[in-house]
Amino acid sequence: MVVCCPQLCGLADARAAARLFDRVLAAVTRFCPKAEAVEPGVCAFAARGPARYYGGEAALAGQIIAALAGLGLESRVGVADGLFAARLAARGPRQVGLIPPGGSPEFLARHPVDVLADQDLAGLLTRLGLGTLGDLAALPFGDVAGRFGAAGEAAHRLASGHGSLPLAVRPPAEDLSVACEFDPPEALAEPVVFAAKALAERMHDGLAARGLTCVRVQVRAAWADGRESRRRWRHDGLLSAAAVADRVRWQLDGWHPAAQDGEPGTGGITTLRLVPDQVVRATGHQLALWGEAVVTDRVARAAMRVQAMLGHEAVLRPVHDGGRNVDEQVTHVPFGGKRTPRREPGQPWPGRIAGAAPGVVYPFGREAEVTDEAGRAVAVTGRCGLSAEPACLTVDGEPVRRVTGWAGPWPLSERWWDPVTARRRARFQLLTGDGRAWLAVVQDGRWLIEAGYW
Amino acid sequence: MLAWQPALSAVAWEPGSEPEPAVPGVPGSGTLPVLPALRDLLPRGALARGSVVSVAEFGLLCLALAAGASADGAWCGIAGVPEAGVLAAAGLGLDGERTLLVPDPGSAWPQVVASLLDGCELVLLRPPASAPAQVRQRLEATLRRRRGVLLVTGDWPGAQVRLRVITQGWTGLGDGHGRLRACCAEVLADGRGEAAMTRTRWLWLPAEDGTVAAADPVDVPIAGIPARGVWGDGRSLQDRGAQGGRPPGLAAVSAG
Repeated sequence: MVVCCPQLCGLADARAAARLFDRVLAAVTRFCPKAEAVEPGVCAFAARGPARYYGGEAALAGQIIAALAGLGLESRVGVADGLFAARLAARGPRQVGLIPPGGSPEFLARHPVDVLADQDLAGLLTRLGLGTLGDLAALPFGDVAGRFGAAGEAAHRLASGHGSLPLAVRPPAEDLSVACEFDPPEALAEPVVFAAKALAERMHDGLAARGLTCVRVQVRAAWADGRESRRRWRHDGLLSAAAVADRVRWQLDGWHPAAQDGEPGTGGITTLRLVPDQVVRATGHQLALWGEAVVTDRVARAAMRVQAMLGHEAVLRPVHDGGRNVDEQVTHVPFGGKRTPRREPGQPWPGRIAGAAPGVVYPFGREAEVTDEAGRAVAVTGRCGLSAEPACLTVDGEPVRRVTGWAGPWPLSERWWDPVTARRRARFQLLTGDGRAWLAVVQDGRWLIEAGYW
Repeated sequence: MLAWQPALSAVAWEPGSEPEPAVPGVPGSGTLPVLPALRDLLPRGALARGSVVSVAEFGLLCLALAAGASADGAWCGIAGVPEAGVLAAAGLGLDGERTLLVPDPGSAWPQVVASLLDGCELVLLRPPASAPAQVRQRLEATLRRRRGVLLVTGDWPGAQVRLRVITQGWTGLGDGHGRLRACCAEVLADGRGEAAMTRTRWLWLPAEDGTVAAADPVDVPIAGIPARGVWGDGRSLQDRGAQGGRPPGLAAVSAG
């Protein structure tokens, strides 16, 4: 359902419009808490639930119009399956434009293409002879996408009655967190954990009643001496109330160890609060896609337990990534985070060193010296000419090793267009007398060992 | 999901050792599987659950030992090794989807390892500091309770099996040309109890395709002589001597 106040759209005084619009939103929020502001003067919300409560969409629309009339504003309401169609319905001849479910494509077909926000595309479509949205929707999606690109795709989706973006919920005004007080302050962790289980169940019920689920839970524990411990736990819908209680236990355990800075909080725990963070509409739990390893509860518990001890970034999962350098080819993502690579992994990446992969990849290069027979440092010119053959390798304080085989230089010039991040390096593979092989890189006259093969 | 492996026929039968009670890798059996090329080095041809295996230093051998279990479906944890080469591990067979990395376990590393053993069947550990006997015993007790396997780099006095690479030689690099292709390594295994007898094997660790394979004695480059004398196709020095000192063709010079 879209509520449109034509007086506010395009009002010259933006601040007055904003203030009035805030009151409009407050009034609409009383009917539906999840109202989204689309632009000044237009707000939208999903109407199915409130409509059932108020006895039908027409009745709800009538009440909203009456409420806004009380504020002195004239309003129009449009109801349809998608946001785009509902906005057009609100602009229609009737004050309350109701499009029956599934009737959006027909309704949209009649409209000319210049109702699309993208006026350039609309002009082009008109010149090509596609006058109405119905003409556009009749074309095959693939052809439209191929000819017009992303803009055409979006327009085609709108014209067919599918929304372009899901409705994002406005955070409700009330606080969804749940809290529990302990009087007298609880010195032991066990009763707190026990209470946490009941609290977690209350929080879940509260969220579910609003059709929401949260992605993260923040657990806040306050001690009698004023200290507070806050930690965010990822919450994928996999966490039951018992699991949240586990996390509270780990957090309390994690707060008390001797290794932490300072002494543990004294005096006992006075308050425990669970705050849902990043609340989204509950769309049902998405199972792992085929091919992805399913993270069992047992593994997730173990990983999260270690994260409680050491921090969220301490437990990582590797993701294959693209890149030319050995340290770029794997990205480490904290457990529970989205496993997306930073660069394209499947692409050729010319400049990569082919052949055996190193068993040891140093996160920071180790300082090294590569010298020739006479003891002078080996240098590489801009044209990849070597000053002399490498004969000795000294890594970072270790004893000198004789170089028995080598290959290179393999030049790599990265980001030459950006003077700050540009770097030119030459890579070598060096074989030393003990049978080990090294990946040595020279940049600006400095040698670094990036990886080892053993 | 676990592929049934005809393990009984593939296990190296050493006279005097007991037969495998169940198929390795199936939960409930007493062992975790290893790559076929490594079976000769371990008693019962697999990693016994609840045991500690110590490797002299972190490298491809450690990752290869973990790869067999990981490919079979086990979760692996790698603790204390920020420089673990995950790409090489993937080539050996370690599944990145079922790997947890804890690069810096800090001073509370015994608790970290114990927690990792809760979830992972195999944990590869490089202890930040040498562990006192009490810590070791407690970890071993956790290990036995969870029926996991601990691969430790460095010294671990209670280890059942000890492995180390005695010699290794890479092929493919010449005098300013070529690139690293494969490494031939001699691995020595000894230990306590069933593993008390010392065994050595030559392995391609890794072979040209990144996997581990047993090395045919004919192909083994002479131990101690570095790869400068080895041609790009891995032929040993005996073959080469017959043809004189010809460098390999320019086809070897292409570096990625």
